[in-house]
Amino acid sequence: MNTEIFVTDKAGLATFYEAIIAKHETYAPVEKFGKYEFKKVSALSGCDPDAPIATTMSAKPLFFPRSAKIMKYTADASGTKVSETDEDPLSAQRVILGMKHCDARSLQVLDKVYNWDFIDTDYQKRRRNTVIISARCDKADTHCFCTSLDYNVERLDAMDVLIVNGADGKVYIEPRTEKGKSFLEGDLTHHMTHVRDNEEAAKAMKKQYDAFAGSFRLNMDYKTVNEGLSKIFDSPQFENVSDNCVGCNTCAFVCPTCHCFKISDEKVKDTGVRYKSYDSCNNGYFTLMAGGHNPRPVKYRRWRQRALHKFVYYKERFGENLCVGCGKCTRACPVNISIFEVVSTLPHINNIQ
Amino acid sequence: MEQLLVPMMCRIDKVIQETPDIRTYRLKFKEEGMMDRFNWLPGQFVEFSLLGSGECTFCIASSSTRKETFDCSIKRAGVVTADIHTGLDEGDEVGIRGPYGNWFPLEDLKGKNLLFVGGGIGLAPLRSLIQYCIDNRKDYKDFTILYGARTSADLCYKDEIADWRKDPSLKVILTIDKPEETWKENVGVVPKILEEVVKPVVENTKVITCGPPIMIKYTLLSLDKLGFAPKDVITTLEMKMQCGLGKCGRCNIGSTYVCKDGPVFTYEQLKKLPDEF
Repeated sequence: MNTEIFVTDKAGLATFYEAIIAKHETYAPVEKFGKYEFKKVSALSGCDPDAPIATTMSAKPLFFPRSAKIMKYTADASGTKVSETDEDPLSAQRVILGMKHCDARSLQVLDKVYNWDFIDTDYQKRRRNTVIISARCDKADTHCFCTSLDYNVERLDAMDVLIVNGADGKVYIEPRTEKGKSFLEGDLTHHMTHVRDNEEAAKAMKKQYDAFAGSFRLNMDYKTVNEGLSKIFDSPQFENVSDNCVGCNTCAFVCPTCHCFKISDEKVKDTGVRYKSYDSCNNGYFTLMAGGHNPRPVKYRRWRQRALHKFVYYKERFGENLCVGCGKCTRACPVNISIFEVVSTLPHINNIQ
Repeated sequence: MEQLLVPMMCRIDKVIQETPDIRTYRLKFKEEGMMDRFNWLPGQFVEFSLLGSGECTFCIASSSTRKETFDCSIKRAGVVTADIHTGLDEGDEVGIRGPYGNWFPLEDLKGKNLLFVGGGIGLAPLRSLIQYCIDNRKDYKDFTILYGARTSADLCYKDEIADWRKDPSLKVILTIDKPEETWKENVGVVPKILEEVVKPVVENTKVITCGPPIMIKYTLLSLDKLGFAPKDVITTLEMKMQCGLGKCGRCNIGSTYVCKDGPVFTYEQLKKLPDEF
């Protein structure tokens, strides 16, 4: 064990946040009408790095923009000219505050798809240039189930710096990556007590984690889910669970791991722009081919794709669940479909185990 | 990622009206030397852009052994293809990204009898392989091409088929679905002609097939009946694709990315995929 921890208090944490915001391009949860979204901030008073877990939008757009320009082009009598678009505004050095475990973990999951075969260099650059700093949640929300999935929430190294609000009133700040370690060197932590392999701090952090882990309403065994779902492709139950779905795709929009996109053109007279934007397998046209053939023409097949992609196919292909248990899709769903309920009950319904 | 999605511009060298709704576009890159750097193998595909209208996936319908230009045969089927048919002519420019995907297992085909079974526009990907095999004729044994379409007017590559027929080492069998007054060749759907007229030798033969889903479905059943092992039957899948890079998630069938792991699959591989067709 060689754990470095910086110990401070609430006021010291605020000073820490303020110093970061003053010195770095910083993104943090900003409230609007009771919902949160990650935005660029210039003062601590304008944001809430300790925002409640149910931030309604993940930090996904900071790594995978909702809509990115692929190129501009002009086409006239002299021919067609293609120009790549302006430099990506999202690739500067930056810090993200308040990106919780689930959200931070989603990047480790997405790394797999963006870094296989053709490499998404923009995504890599954004990953490389970002320092993620987040406090661990103190209490699970109604729809949270991160501790039920295939990652160790307590020892997670997806955020560079972990903050723990101890029950003793102290705040513990621990670098979780090399990047986080070098980030904490220097002025930012001057006002804190620097301890190494400190038992008292480790104990306080463990206590906080245990209280958090004990607060979950939802628990499942993901291995049973992976296994069970892989055997029920032909189950008629997919029709029942997807019956209420209105196909609004909000689940995919707020999901930190959904990464499907579409390519579309907008043209006015001789100039046009091509965009890459979010899309979802729940869209009826997602797999619709010219000529009318569609392998997933009905809702339950699209829902089945969504559930199985998250808990069977991605796991098979890349070794991870394409779900981090954040519950955002369920909170956002207008008809109360819970992914937890769907995937954890379907295998049981079919008596496979 | 965005840079990977920017196409290279090509000029249309020639447009061939194959059938009332299929046109072949013969393309050449505008940039000097790009044609030399553009290397593909039969079975691979490109993303074809009509800027302002959209991007579509088409197989390369010609062989890299004839590399002055490359062909995309396009059937008018949807919004972009309709714009392509009405808007693009010789001298116009299109964007191309690629080549993407895997290719026919050329090494496995060596020393084998080849049976090509095509239907309608499905002859396009086979044509790339047929040209490639003709240009490397000594590597392959008997050559049989069974090609069918709804009507005689819907048969593609008529001039090229006439050339193939002049070559005594190629056996070409044509069929149409319903009788026509001037049609003197086979009448009947492809699987029927395969069983009743072609009666292929199973021994040491590889079958390469492509066509509309319904034809593929019954052709696979016929091949099974004739005694072909699933590993000796090769097809190329039609699936909605957009990025071609294994990212956008559109072409997934189970954990398979058709754009990366395919579009060429053996029937043996297809049988293992979730039944989404």
